Amino acid sequence: MDLGISALNYVSSIKNGEFTVEEFTSKSLERISQVDEKLHAFLRVNDLAIKNAREIDTKIKSNQNVGKCYGMPISVKDNMCIEGSKTTCASKVLENFIAPYTSTVISKLNSEDAIIIGKTNMDEFAMGLSTEYSAYGPSRNPWNIDYVPGGSSGGSGVSVSANECIASLGSDTGGSIRNPASFCSVVGLKPTYGLVSRYGLVSYANSIEQIGPMTKTVEDSAFLLNIISGIDSNDNTTIDNKNQDYLRDIDIGVSGKKIGIVTEMTNSEGLSAEVANATNDAVKTFEKLGANCEHVSLQMVPYTVAAYYTITSTEAGSNLARYDNIRYGYEFDSSGFEFNSYISQARSKFGPEVIRRMILGGFVPSAGHAGKYFLKALKVKSKLIAEINHVFEKFDFLISPTVPIQPFKFGEKIQDPVSFMMIDFNTVTANLTGIPAISVPYKITNGLPIGIQIMANRLEEHSLLQTAYALEKTVDLPEVPV
Amino acid sequence: MKSLVTEEEISNVAKLMKIDLEDHTAHIKRVQKMLEYFDILDNANVESEEITVQETDLDKLRDDKHNPYDKNLLKFLKSYQGKYVKAPKLN
Amino acid sequence: MTKIGLEIHCQLTKLESKLFCPCKADYREFEPNTNICPVCMGIPGSLPLLNKNAVEKATLIAMALDCKTPNKIAFFRKNYFYPDLPKNFQITQLNAYGNTSIGWEGKISVEDKEIKIRRIQLEEDPGRLIYEGATEKTKLTLVDYNRAGTPLVEIVTEPDFETPHQVREFLNILSDLLENLNVSDPGLEGAMRADANVSIEGGSKVEIKNIGSFHDLEKAVHFEITRQQSLAERKIEIIQETRHWDEGRKITVSARTKEEEAEYRYHLEADIPWVRIDDNTKNQLQVHMPESISSKKERYVSKYGITSQVAGILSSDRYFSELFEKANNETNAKDIANMITTDIMGLLDTREKREMSKLEGDHISDLVEYIKSNKITRASAKLALDEVIKNGKQLSEIIEDLDLGHVSDEATLSDIITEVLDEEVKAVEDAKQNPDIVNFLVGKVMQKTHGKADPELTLTLLKKNLGL
Repeated sequence: MDLGISALNYVSSIKNGEFTVEEFTSKSLERISQVDEKLHAFLRVNDLAIKNAREIDTKIKSNQNVGKCYGMPISVKDNMCIEGSKTTCASKVLENFIAPYTSTVISKLNSEDAIIIGKTNMDEFAMGLSTEYSAYGPSRNPWNIDYVPGGSSGGSGVSVSANECIASLGSDTGGSIRNPASFCSVVGLKPTYGLVSRYGLVSYANSIEQIGPMTKTVEDSAFLLNIISGIDSNDNTTIDNKNQDYLRDIDIGVSGKKIGIVTEMTNSEGLSAEVANATNDAVKTFEKLGANCEHVSLQMVPYTVAAYYTITSTEAGSNLARYDNIRYGYEFDSSGFEFNSYISQARSKFGPEVIRRMILGGFVPSAGHAGKYFLKALKVKSKLIAEINHVFEKFDFLISPTVPIQPFKFGEKIQDPVSFMMIDFNTVTANLTGIPAISVPYKITNGLPIGIQIMANRLEEHSLLQTAYALEKTVDLPEVPV
Repeated sequence: MKSLVTEEEISNVAKLMKIDLEDHTAHIKRVQKMLEYFDILDNANVESEEITVQETDLDKLRDDKHNPYDKNLLKFLKSYQGKYVKAPKLN
Repeated sequence: MTKIGLEIHCQLTKLESKLFCPCKADYREFEPNTNICPVCMGIPGSLPLLNKNAVEKATLIAMALDCKTPNKIAFFRKNYFYPDLPKNFQITQLNAYGNTSIGWEGKISVEDKEIKIRRIQLEEDPGRLIYEGATEKTKLTLVDYNRAGTPLVEIVTEPDFETPHQVREFLNILSDLLENLNVSDPGLEGAMRADANVSIEGGSKVEIKNIGSFHDLEKAVHFEITRQQSLAERKIEIIQETRHWDEGRKITVSARTKEEEAEYRYHLEADIPWVRIDDNTKNQLQVHMPESISSKKERYVSKYGITSQVAGILSSDRYFSELFEKANNETNAKDIANMITTDIMGLLDTREKREMSKLEGDHISDLVEYIKSNKITRASAKLALDEVIKNGKQLSEIIEDLDLGHVSDEATLSDIITEVLDEEVKAVEDAKQNPDIVNFLVGKVMQKTHGKADPELTLTLLKKNLGL
């Protein structure tokens, strides 16, 4: 039984009777107990997993209808609500929060008989890009445990990469799926804004974030997207994708496609030598596959990081206001306190990065400063959208390295706020414009992963996955050393 | 045009956002640096831009029906004497 | 010149559900914290779901107040911390990116004065706070979130009012209008609240909040004008500030100065897309809008010949004007109108009584018919009304049951008259001196017949008997 198996191969193996759901689940739990003390991908493991597995095995044996997932173990980032379960967002402020309802995406997985094997570690409230800001300790990169796994969906990336589970659901606000996908050498997809329901996703920046799959293969991402996407009456921002099948014709190839290499994202000054190399290689690969590659400039890209942080800190400042520890939160008796001083003390339990974003979020949209910061950022967003629309009139896809650098060591980037923010340089564009973007594992250099990012126009996941599949098929990567 | 935001301003914002900063010097320098970086937005030349928004139609909205929530939500909350939510006194 | 402006908050109590979730819009019957769900409680991960009918009803209000309405509406967040706000922000409307609130620049007439409406917006009500005790020892605020998320329409006027009386009149007119539109029950406790702003010539604007009733509003405005005038006379500056109405002492007290203006960090509510309201929708709403009060009044006067006063009373009450429409058949309109305004309104003066009432339009037209054809006296009619309201039976049945039939045959009546004359010896004497005393005797006859005696015939017979 190979725990490194893809989701689709898992399903055929179960159908062929090669192993049972309980056997695979049991082995996965064993794997978790072996490696997770070191890797810390998980905050909580589901102690009902074996019970769920047995139930699904029973269904299979008695020829009942079984959901598409056939009991595959899937991990979920700890910012998605599951009824009766803790959902902490890796924060002390939600230490005791038990969700009273289940996210739409998880309900969908449950009705397809997936097994939610556990909740994964993340940067606190999804603010970060290395999982170093988790209040419960960082996760470690399975390719080299002295290095960060990326973030904010770091735990998700690690759990898939280290074969602790078959796939994971992460969330992406500025690169939080794609960045750890690149750093951990797994596939990570951020869908078009509105394609996947956010009902149950604890909001950080609700105008741009999306839930998405993190998987071992591109096909697996298509498989999961089929399950989790679609209009939801519990989320007014969802779009009807008319039940698209993202697996259909996924191997069609890229012959004749026009691919734009985003100049501002592939500027050699911003990239590490290894990443620049890998990118050039990828371009050549695409050309060999029959695509036409050409440089294209997106002039607004240099302003996107500033615009992103301005907009997200404003929204975060508002979305996190509800955490005053009055209705839910953590143990802290309010007796004897006055309202304002109680909530100010309760909220001082936020981690340092969250506190900084709260301060920024109070500042940039305030009456005296909104014109200079927040409103300008919204306008940058608009102009960027217009640029992207224009560019997609000529090109089918855009590519860049997912992250300008390879994984870094713990503590290395956390000191300087500006160079820290710059790690998001290539990924925030897709969030600000709402377009879909995927990171495909491309290379391992010096033992550390490099991913290539492909972007397509809004609602073009189907062709985006085809292109990602084509690239993936040219790559033969080593196994994770853990 | 560099704008250095003062320690006092940042302290006031922390109060606005209801976060007690016992020792805020650690955060202040970092926030100042981030805000300084945001000055780059001034060079974006976007004065005449309109904002872009998502739109929907009236008929896509929720129908006006009373549908009581089927679970006892109060037991998931920090409630007081089983009926109310307890909050600290107001000034 | 005194300038007064109002900010009225009106709950859309005629809706079934809250503004952003399917909990009940009218929370009044519920035990604390039992009309809540993850959305209105702002549980992490929950998302607001806009109520279509709320948008329609709010647009109706905007149209009825002659406002301009947008082609797209948007929602914003007003961020501040308070225990009655589950999310610590309120979803409301603003006109930050063009006109995106439900209506603006409208007007309404109050006693020949035109009051301009600055804007109308749709927003959610917060929860309710209960203070356990008011001493230092009890340091508790208790919160009931049943009301959180209830749909509110905020109506902001220009400072066009000049007197407290105009303010009061306006509120009455507005109440009637909202009830007539079938969007709200202004009579429900807490359904309509208002704040005022007041400034006198050369003085700053002062806001008055925390006013419990419309009666208090008139008082508060009056007090504030007096207070400001007294300051002006003594050449003391009137500070721009917010004051609270102290119900106990009947004065306004300073709450906070404008300098400490809260910072709300307004920004778009991204969980609710901008909603397109096309002209077709607006036309449909206009076409199906309930007839306005002024139009009804005019119709009652011109078509049915009802007096202006009666028409005014009838048209401004939705419940009774509906009853009138059902009861009248063109020929008896005047009588129906009179019966409703004279007798029925007094009997059904509360919401509870109206809800329990079994009175239908047919009952009223029957009653009017019976009175006209002398089958029943006016006095008996009142008793009959009481019965009908209770059990809704047919009028003929009630008249039989209670024996309310007209006593109009001379023989029976003469006997009763003889009885009365025997009993009321003194009155009979007095009547010979003072003819008006006959009415007293008519009254006695009516008493004996339980109101069934034909009053005219009784009078005639009595006079004959007394030789008057």
